[in-house]
Amino acid sequence: MDTSSPSAFVNGALLRRYIGQKVRTVVQVIGSDMGSVVGKSTDDLQIFVKGSPPASTTTYLEVIGIAESENSIRAETWTNFGISFDALNYNELCKLANGEFKHLFI
Amino acid sequence: MENSVTQNGIATVLSNQSTDSSSVRPEIVVQVVDLKPVGNRYTFNANDGKMKIKAMLPATFRSDIISGKIQNLGLIRLLDYTANDIPGKSEEKYLLVTKCEAVAPPLDAEIKAEIKASTGIMLKSKQEFVAKSASQIINEQRANAAPAARMAITRRVHPLVSLNPYQGSWTIKVRVTNKAVMRTYKNARGEGCVFNVELTDEEGTQIQATMFNAAARKFYDTFQMGKVYYISRGSLKLANKQFKTVQNDYEMTLNENSEVEEARSEEMFIPETKFNFVPIDELGAYVNQKELIDVIGVVQSVSPTMSIRRKNDNEMIPKRDITLADETKKTVVVSLWNDLATGLGQELLDMADNYPIIAIKSLKVGDFQGVSLSTVSRSNVVINPDSPEAAKLKSWYDSEGKETSMSTIGSGISSSANNGSRSMYSDRVCLSHFTSNPSLGEEKPVFFSTRAYISFIKPDQTMWYRACKTCNKKVTEAMDSGYWCEGCQKKDEECSLRYIMAVKASDSTGEAWCFAFNDEAEKIIGCTADELNKLKSSEEGEANEFQTKLKEATWSSHLFRVSVSKQEYNSEKRQRITVKGVSPIDFAAETRLLLQDISKNKTSQ
Repeated sequence: MDTSSPSAFVNGALLRRYIGQKVRTVVQVIGSDMGSVVGKSTDDLQIFVKGSPPASTTTYLEVIGIAESENSIRAETWTNFGISFDALNYNELCKLANGEFKHLFI
Repeated sequence: MENSVTQNGIATVLSNQSTDSSSVRPEIVVQVVDLKPVGNRYTFNANDGKMKIKAMLPATFRSDIISGKIQNLGLIRLLDYTANDIPGKSEEKYLLVTKCEAVAPPLDAEIKAEIKASTGIMLKSKQEFVAKSASQIINEQRANAAPAARMAITRRVHPLVSLNPYQGSWTIKVRVTNKAVMRTYKNARGEGCVFNVELTDEEGTQIQATMFNAAARKFYDTFQMGKVYYISRGSLKLANKQFKTVQNDYEMTLNENSEVEEARSEEMFIPETKFNFVPIDELGAYVNQKELIDVIGVVQSVSPTMSIRRKNDNEMIPKRDITLADETKKTVVVSLWNDLATGLGQELLDMADNYPIIAIKSLKVGDFQGVSLSTVSRSNVVINPDSPEAAKLKSWYDSEGKETSMSTIGSGISSSANNGSRSMYSDRVCLSHFTSNPSLGEEKPVFFSTRAYISFIKPDQTMWYRACKTCNKKVTEAMDSGYWCEGCQKKDEECSLRYIMAVKASDSTGEAWCFAFNDEAEKIIGCTADELNKLKSSEEGEANEFQTKLKEATWSSHLFRVSVSKQEYNSEKRQRITVKGVSPIDFAAETRLLLQDISKNKTSQ
């Protein structure tokens, strides 16, 4: 497993802790155009994802990339997560992965 | 007066016994003399200083006597009682005490009539009875008493528990605790109608009484729910265990010549419907069981009536759903059917704003919406019952329950409810729960949900049997051709194969062998037994489709509903795990469960 470039699980609120670092998150797509996607994070915050999104996006989208600011990510990897996704569970996962179980995650 | 007996108490008891007045009977304090056990009951003489009368305490007082609350020479207050004749001695009566409380510890000696006690009180007009003997009073009253009352006096009332088929005449005094609707039937001997009632006596013993045709028509209107009757001249036979609904080895049949009289004029002590409440959060264990359960809860909501088409006869039946909550902070939906939906349901709807408490006897627990309850024909609903449980629930609801957020008992699987998932919530366990508890299911089968992988299916086991296409029972090959079904007593050219197989299930805690029958095995294997058999018989060359199919079925995970029971095998008791339900994993729901477990573990550390 490649651990040289870990990407932390984040929701909207946790993004600010990783500015300049690699993160991964899942957003609900609100709008998209050529160079960016506006999404709603699992904790109901707005996130701007920059880069080159796939031609068509599903309701939920996973992005991995560098956190540029507390509400924007420059994405390298885009993955469609389909139309049914449990945002609540994902949000809890983010909290656990950055909370007391942080040592279990890379 | 606390430490003395009621003056002329015994005479009052005897004179009050058959009066027509519905006034409250006076509570009388008597001294217990010569207390001794007879079988599981106790007899004593009730002494008021002037008179003594033979009296009996039923078995329910056993603990009070053993604990010393009621003692010889002590004083008790009679709260509820009847005076019955001693057979063959019409002059003499005995007192059957059904409710009493201890007033004073044992005195030094038997109370004898004290002179001073008779002054003053004797002047009261009522006291003229005192001069007469008990039998005189009875004889006087017999002349003008109502027939039911007369029956009470002239016949000894038998406790239900003492009835048997070999007994001559008896009279019982019972409350109708359930009344079924009149049903019509048709069989080889013709058509007829039948209905039955459930009768409960003062000791809480129950018996079912059935009436056919003329007797059914005669007594259908006589028997009314909740009322008390004297019944005699019925016949008893061994109860058919298959249709048994009450705990009694016998059942009663009443014919046209049976006597049923309402005990109208007396205040009865016969118990109301007995409940055995199951808390809402424990309902999971009863899902799809034959056993009927009782619940008590606060009515949260009442739906309008709906009409549901019954599958087997296309009849439209009214239904109404109500939501109940209890102190376990869980809610459950109860479907009321037929008259309960239209009559009582409407009543509930009208008072829903006041959050009434209702107690329901005999409900079926189903897996619709996870767990739900449904009334059956013998279900019995009491609104705002006068019981300690209801009072407790009411005070809980008023103080905190109203504000508490509650979840439905079937929640946690709500999103998977539409893909055949069963009740997979509170009784979720790991496989090690079975393997580390060899005594599990010792008394009766216990049910659990578990998420596990199928890890091994032995390919050379007998996986199926030849089954009758109509009744699914095992068939034998007929002499010439075709298959003979013992169940249907019929021969058919064809039969179908049905699975019965052993599979090994594994999870992170261990592994266990489980048995799966046709429907469940079909879900595990992914095809019918007939289809699998075809793959097996066409097995040739390299590509062994049969083996492949089994391989595909292994290392896939499912949600299992299992029963764990004990079975004797070669005089050795063994645990047997049977798969009762298989459903696909709902990952989101499973994740929520895991998150719950994590937070539970965090708080318990």
